[in-house]
Amino acid sequence: MKQIAFIAAIAAIAISLPLVIGESPYFIGILISLLMMAALSSAWNILGGYAGQYSFGHAAYFGAGAYTTLILLTLYNLNPLLCMAMGVVVASIIALITGSIVFRLRGHYFGLASIAVAEVVRLSVLNFEFTGGAQGILLSDVVLWDLDLNSKIPFYYGMLLVLAVTLAITAYLRKSKTGYYLQAIREDQDAASSLGINISFYKNKALLISAALTSVLGSLYGLYIRFIDTSAVLDLRLSIEIILTAIIGGVGTLWGPVVGALLLVPLAEMLRSNFFGDMLINAGLVSETSGVGMFLKDNLAHAHVLVYGIITVLCILYLPKGVLGLFRRKK
Amino acid sequence: MSFLQPLISGILTGGVYALAGIGMSLVFGVMNISNFAHGDLMMLGMYLAFFAFTLLHIDPYISLVLIIPIAFLFGYMMEKVFINRVIHHPHQNQILLTVGLGLIMSNTALLAFTSDPKILTTTYSSSAFNLLGDVSVSVPLLLSFLITCLITVILYLFLSKTSTGMALRATSQNREAAQLMGINVAKMSAIAFGIGTALAATAGALIAPTYYIHPLAGHSFLLKAFTICVLGGLGSVVGAGVGGIIIGVVEAMSSTYLSSDWKDVIVFVIFLAVLLFRPQGLFGKKGGQ
Repeated sequence: MKQIAFIAAIAAIAISLPLVIGESPYFIGILISLLMMAALSSAWNILGGYAGQYSFGHAAYFGAGAYTTLILLTLYNLNPLLCMAMGVVVASIIALITGSIVFRLRGHYFGLASIAVAEVVRLSVLNFEFTGGAQGILLSDVVLWDLDLNSKIPFYYGMLLVLAVTLAITAYLRKSKTGYYLQAIREDQDAASSLGINISFYKNKALLISAALTSVLGSLYGLYIRFIDTSAVLDLRLSIEIILTAIIGGVGTLWGPVVGALLLVPLAEMLRSNFFGDMLINAGLVSETSGVGMFLKDNLAHAHVLVYGIITVLCILYLPKGVLGLFRRKK
Repeated sequence: MSFLQPLISGILTGGVYALAGIGMSLVFGVMNISNFAHGDLMMLGMYLAFFAFTLLHIDPYISLVLIIPIAFLFGYMMEKVFINRVIHHPHQNQILLTVGLGLIMSNTALLAFTSDPKILTTTYSSSAFNLLGDVSVSVPLLLSFLITCLITVILYLFLSKTSTGMALRATSQNREAAQLMGINVAKMSAIAFGIGTALAATAGALIAPTYYIHPLAGHSFLLKAFTICVLGGLGSVVGAGVGGIIIGVVEAMSSTYLSSDWKDVIVFVIFLAVLLFRPQGLFGKKGGQ
């Protein structure tokens, strides 16, 4: 009962948030990134957190969704939802190929192979003509029903919907036969196998669900930004950000990825907009024209990946179970 | 003749890749850790060679005398401060820790040295001589290859003849048994990581005169080093040496006969093919896990 009230309260806040903060495109933009990262990380969590298979190449599925959707839209001007479905098909094919190669192996191999597959996808997209190569793809106009797709609001609700679906699937899986099998595989693959669990089948199932959701998010992102290139949607950096978000919140927990996104996305935004530098300058601690002030202004904005690195190291050393793990221990 | 040209330049470049691969394989063998910071350690080697050349006016090949001990100490300390704390953690935590350390190194380099690529131009950087008529051999690549051979021989002698080397190999074969025999495995891990770092930095310094130097250059070498290790068999030092040469030749051949845009794709396809058909690699132990 308490849980239902909690979820209802969060849903109510999330649905009414755009009405409260109005149409400020800046804040809606940040919220969209937040929802997207929470959903991406939750989708990754189904495979990484529950099945224990750390994929370092989820950007491939995100990119598959984004590229398939935008290519089909620019070439044939199909219904965006149909394009999105095609994106899921492409991502699933990539996932099946990856799964069939590496799920026979264990340990370091899945992580390494997931990077290799993602790099093959990235470099192929970069080298092919029909994908726009290094220039990427620019989408001029999208029409879906009567929605005003120039506004960010439909994308806010779109991302929210995918996040809700991802969380619902995770919550369902956790208590289902598949979920128990996945957790058994994560804890002890040999024991799981000796009890008759078809390891490769369930790993592939988790990967397919995870890849399909990731691909839908990629499609939404492509429609929202309307410009994609390999460095935006296929980069290894994106895969690592997805994992990091889950790690910081708590891997293998339902809400961990959401908590991680709540912490990381605003932090990244503050660093990007030089919030901390401006704060120090406004507080009078650092003069804007002094050497330190200039350095902060020039560099702090680019330092968010560095901060990510520091957070990763600290998190692994001191908080390997994430923020949610911290609370669980205290109980 | 056109066939010999990519073969020879591939072997020469492959030698340097082999050095990076051997470093990674040694760390993997002794510590059972995939070091995702390996490429960034190579990048540090490139910058060390660059600054030794521009600030101290030391030839990049001579500067190895400085770079190797500095990199060894750096790796040794890095293992003592960070890596050994996760040695009993799950693989993914180890991977993420090294990913984090790599991000810190590459982005600190980005802040300190900016994203403008630097080029180390020595008097012999673009010099070459002809072999067998029309096969041109680049002088810096040949020098790099010879130094790689020298270092590999020294490393081989160290691993097979000295007591520390034997202790390293024992730790690599069976960590618990080595510990029971009175080997200080924690120290061996730090030494292995130090040597791995020194080899990565050496590979970086050797490639610096023929490559552009950039804070994010380590990224592509990291994946190459992994391919080399998996091809040779994770943990096999000899395998990594052979794997490096193979990858170098494959790259040169695919640049010549296909296009240089696709050479990295070919390398990763080989990587996946090895995982599919021979996961234990060319020289790895049977079982491939």
